[in-house]
Amino acid sequence: MKNIIEDIEIRAREELYINIHPIQPGGRLTPAAMKAMISYGDGYSTCDWCRKPFRLDKIKRPSIEEFHVELAEFLGMDQVRVVPGARRGFQAVASSLVEKGDSVIVSSLAHYTEFLAVEDAGGIVKEVPLNEKNIITAEATARKIEEVKRETGKLPKLIMIDYFDYMFGNEHEIRGIAKVSKEYEIPFLCNGAYAVGVLPVNGKDIGADFLVGSGHKSFASPAPSGMVATTNEWAGKVFRTTQMCGDVTKRKFGIKEVEMLGCTLMGANLIAMMASFPAVKERVKHWDDEIKKINYFMDEFLKIEGNKVPSEMPRKHTLTKVDTTGSFDKIAQTHKRRGFFFSDELGDRKIVGEFAGATRAWKLNTYGLTWDQIKYLANAFQDIARKYGIKVLA
Amino acid sequence: MSEKAVQETFEALFALTDLRQIFRETKPDHKLNDEQKKKVEEILKSVRRSLGVIEEELTK
Repeated sequence: MKNIIEDIEIRAREELYINIHPIQPGGRLTPAAMKAMISYGDGYSTCDWCRKPFRLDKIKRPSIEEFHVELAEFLGMDQVRVVPGARRGFQAVASSLVEKGDSVIVSSLAHYTEFLAVEDAGGIVKEVPLNEKNIITAEATARKIEEVKRETGKLPKLIMIDYFDYMFGNEHEIRGIAKVSKEYEIPFLCNGAYAVGVLPVNGKDIGADFLVGSGHKSFASPAPSGMVATTNEWAGKVFRTTQMCGDVTKRKFGIKEVEMLGCTLMGANLIAMMASFPAVKERVKHWDDEIKKINYFMDEFLKIEGNKVPSEMPRKHTLTKVDTTGSFDKIAQTHKRRGFFFSDELGDRKIVGEFAGATRAWKLNTYGLTWDQIKYLANAFQDIARKYGIKVLA
Repeated sequence: MSEKAVQETFEALFALTDLRQIFRETKPDHKLNDEQKKKVEEILKSVRRSLGVIEEELTK
């Protein structure tokens, strides 16, 4: 295939291969988003019709202002801002609420950017341990709060827990955790990076004070993109405007929001996100079908002798951790290509996205695959197993 | 060349984007059903029409 320029190849893996990469499927663009990328790729393309008060979320053409209103409604929150990735949402909230030495409750499966956001604000993370099923429970969260209170003499300033985590794709007790946060009067940030945009999520129903989502993980949008939503109670703090005044020029930039550093997603990323929005609103209604597909695949996957699924079963999310130590890894031990034999076999069957060379514990994601593709995928795994003499149950 | 040629350029690119989507939905073997075949035919027709307009604009 011809390159775009000399050393940049065309990326056609979504057109040519079944891609089971753990973090890519939810961010795969819709046709409308691809068209938006073609038309709005130029740098400050969203600024053509930027008029007073000169802020991204106030632009009326294209309808960015309206998008913000509708997005907040979709998320079941009062206000929302688009940000360059969920991480910038964590950062905005942590920076607003956490001061030096403050404790922040996070999950033992928290994404590293949650750690960094807390560190950046001068806080200290305190991790809630997992239960035996790799779930963060409300009870364990309450215990951790008590532990922090005992050790530091102060309550944590923020609770930040993932709806679904990135390691197992397990669902955590966010509603119960939200209740606990209310009892202790600690604000609760629900990390919906693997939820918002693929399944129905309503922040207020959950009881979240902040709801963070990722455009490139789950909203059919390019990277970086994401959102941070909140209630009117907290909006004034996290979306506070600048009070700064230049000592020489006396300049003020009153409308600009400090945590957003003014405007955020200027250009194609935002317009693509907006272009995907109607399809996203529709697709979350079909999450049940995605769950049926991953569970069908898992049933077939587990027919291969030695295969295991460390994620909770039955699956509640398409992102899943699998363990092939007892099957494909045994072949890798003596194969001249070692673990890469498995990648080769998948590649020969036009399947990509596995962690190249990994044959023990690894992750996959079936989000967005059609039933035909799911069945093809299941057959491919069983076909590889049979080829190497691994028993496959009928 | 006029604004029409620019408009048709986008039309063609967008139609080809719809074709890209069909490739995505039918990967990896790209076996198309009747409905998908019909859609591809419509896309090709639309692209050809756009190219025709652009060609016409060029000769004006």
